[in-house]
Amino acid sequence: MIENAKYPMPVNIVVAHGLEAKALITILGLERDQASSEFMEYSNSTMLRLIVSGMGKEAIAAAVSYLGKRQALEGAEIRAWLNIGIAGHRDAPIGSAWLGNKITDKGSGTSAYPPQLIEGFQVGSVVTVEEPETLYPLTAAYEMEASAFYAEATKYSTAELVQVFKVISDNLENPISEIDLQTIPDLIAAQAPQIISLINGMSEIAVGHNSSQQLPSCYHEICSKIHLTVSQQLLLKRLCQRYKALGLEDELRRVTDLNASSARQLIQQLTECIDRISEI
Amino acid sequence: MFSTIYIEEEVLESERVKALLDRFSQVPQVVCGRYGEVFNRKSQNFRLQKKAPALILAKKHGKKVLAAPSGYGYNDSKSYYFSHMLNCVYDCRYCFLQGMYSSANYVLFVNFDDFEEAIEEKIKENNGGGVYYSGYDCDSLALEPVSNFCRHFLPVFRRHPNAELEIRTKSTQVRCLLDTEVVSNCVIAMSFTTSEAAQQWEHKVPSIEKRLEALHKLQLAGWKVAIRFEPLILGSEGMAPYESLFTQIFSKLDVQKLHSVSSGLFRMPVDFHKRIVKLYPDEELYARPTETVDGMIALKSAHESSHLLAIEKLLLSYVSSEQYYRCA
Ligand code: SF4
Repeated sequence: MIENAKYPMPVNIVVAHGLEAKALITILGLERDQASSEFMEYSNSTMLRLIVSGMGKEAIAAAVSYLGKRQALEGAEIRAWLNIGIAGHRDAPIGSAWLGNKITDKGSGTSAYPPQLIEGFQVGSVVTVEEPETLYPLTAAYEMEASAFYAEATKYSTAELVQVFKVISDNLENPISEIDLQTIPDLIAAQAPQIISLINGMSEIAVGHNSSQQLPSCYHEICSKIHLTVSQQLLLKRLCQRYKALGLEDELRRVTDLNASSARQLIQQLTECIDRISEI
Repeated sequence: MFSTIYIEEEVLESERVKALLDRFSQVPQVVCGRYGEVFNRKSQNFRLQKKAPALILAKKHGKKVLAAPSGYGYNDSKSYYFSHMLNCVYDCRYCFLQGMYSSANYVLFVNFDDFEEAIEEKIKENNGGGVYYSGYDCDSLALEPVSNFCRHFLPVFRRHPNAELEIRTKSTQVRCLLDTEVVSNCVIAMSFTTSEAAQQWEHKVPSIEKRLEALHKLQLAGWKVAIRFEPLILGSEGMAPYESLFTQIFSKLDVQKLHSVSSGLFRMPVDFHKRIVKLYPDEELYARPTETVDGMIALKSAHESSHLLAIEKLLLSYVSSEQYYRCA
C-alpha cells in the first residue's frame, strides 16, 4: 500500500485523538517518531507525517504551529495539511465521510472555504464547536478542531493544500454519549481507500508546486561557499531561477565557476550575463 | 466545468442564480456571505486554483462602470469599462489577471440590471455616447453559455446607437451573436498573437484558425469586427511569424470592413509582475530581462522600437492608417 510508494508524500496529517491515529498508523505504514517530545508524532519514508494534537481548537492550533514552525526551518518546500477526525451529524449514516468545503466556527460565526482541487470526494459543511453538539441544528458535520486547524495551517501552506476530512461517528439516533470509543479506529479504517486517494491527490499537487519552485543545485553550492546577505540571497535565488527557466543552467555553472571575489561581484556577473544572452 | 459553485446569500433568490444552480445541480454548491470570503484570500494560489476553478455567483456593489485606462481605446470619445465577471476560463501565461488576483475562481456578478442602470447613466452623462469596453477583467464571451451576457447587454446598446460597446475576446462562442440581429454599435474585438506565441503561452485558448473562422462568420452576418494584436512579445524569429499571421488573418477577413486594428506591447504593473514571477519562477517569459517605466514592467529589448515599427509597416500594408491604432 502507501508505504511502498516510490514518490514523496509531503503531507502532514493532524488528528485530535490517539484512537483516530490508530487506524491511520496501520493504513499508512507509519512509525513512532521519537524525536518529538511535545506531541506524539509518526512518520514514514515517503515524507508522510502524523501528529496527535489533543482535542479542541487550542490543542490543534498548538500542534500545527509546533510542526509548521519546525518544518519551516527545515526547508522552503511546502507541505499539504490534512485534518482527519470523527464528527457528529443530525442524520448522516455512521461511517459516512466527507471533505469539508465550508468550515464554520460556531463561536465567531466566521466561515472558511478550503478550495476543492481534488475531484471524486463527497463534500459538505463542517461546524466547529467548543462543546460536543447533541442537537446538530445545521446540515453539517459537528466537531471541535477544524476551524482552528484551517486557520493555523494556512499560515504554513497554501489554502488549496489544507483540507479537513470528517467521518461521522454519531447522529441523533446514535448519540455521542453512547459512542463506543473502540469503534473509532474501525470507522477511520473503513475510509482507507478515500484517505489514501486524498493523500495521493494532495501529494501530487504539493510535489508539482515544489518542483516548479525548485532552485538549481548551484544555488545551494554558492550559498555554502560565499557569505550572502538576506537581500543578496533573494537576488541570487531569482537569478538562478531565471537561468533555469531559460535553460541556461550550464551557463550558470560557468559563471559561478569564475570565482568571483565577492557576493556582489558574482551577482553582477550573473545579471550581466543573463541579460545579455536573453535580451531579444 | 466548475469544481464548486459558491453562491452569495444575497443572490440566492435571484432567477438567474436559480436557473444556474438547476443547470449545474451535479456541482457541489456552497452558500457564502460575501464573495470576498472565498475569492482572493491571502493564502490562495492562482496557479494551483487554475487546475480546478470554481464559479462564484455574487452581487457587484459599488461602482460598476469605470473610466478606461488611458490609451486603452481607439478614439477620443470618453471610454469606460465594466466587468460582469472577474477572471477567465483561458490560461494565457502573459495575462495580468494572474498577478491581479490570488484566486483563479470565476466571479460572475449576477445583478445585470444594476450594471445596465449604471451603463445607461454613463451614456446619459455622455449625451448618448461614449465607448464601453467589456472584457477587461475577463473574456466576455468565453463563458457566454453560462452568463448570457450578450443576451442581456446587446439590447441595452441597441437602444443607444451612439454609444459603442466593444466586446474583447479570444472565444469562439459566437452563437449568441449569430442568432441575434446585428447591433451596429457593437464591435467584437478578437485578440491574436503569432502562432508561436499562442502555442507557447495561450493555454486552453481556441486555435487561431477557429477564432478566425468565428470572426469570418460574424463579418458575413454583418457584425463589426476588430483585430487586436496584443500583447506583442517580440521573439528572436524576427518578422516571419507576423508575416504569416497577417497573411492568414487578412486573407480570410474582409479588410475594408474591419472596424479597427490595434497593437500593444507586453506591459503590466510592477506589482502584478512580481506576483506572477513568484507563481511561475519556471516560466521563460518572466525570466527575460525587464525594465520599469512609470510603474509598468516591459520586456527589455534594444530592438523594440525598430521591431514595432517593422510590424506596423507590415500591418499598414494590409490595413489603412485610419483603421490602425497603437495601444499605449
Ligand atoms: S484570454 Fe485574455 S483574459 Fe483570458 S487568460 Fe488570456 S489574456 Fe487573460
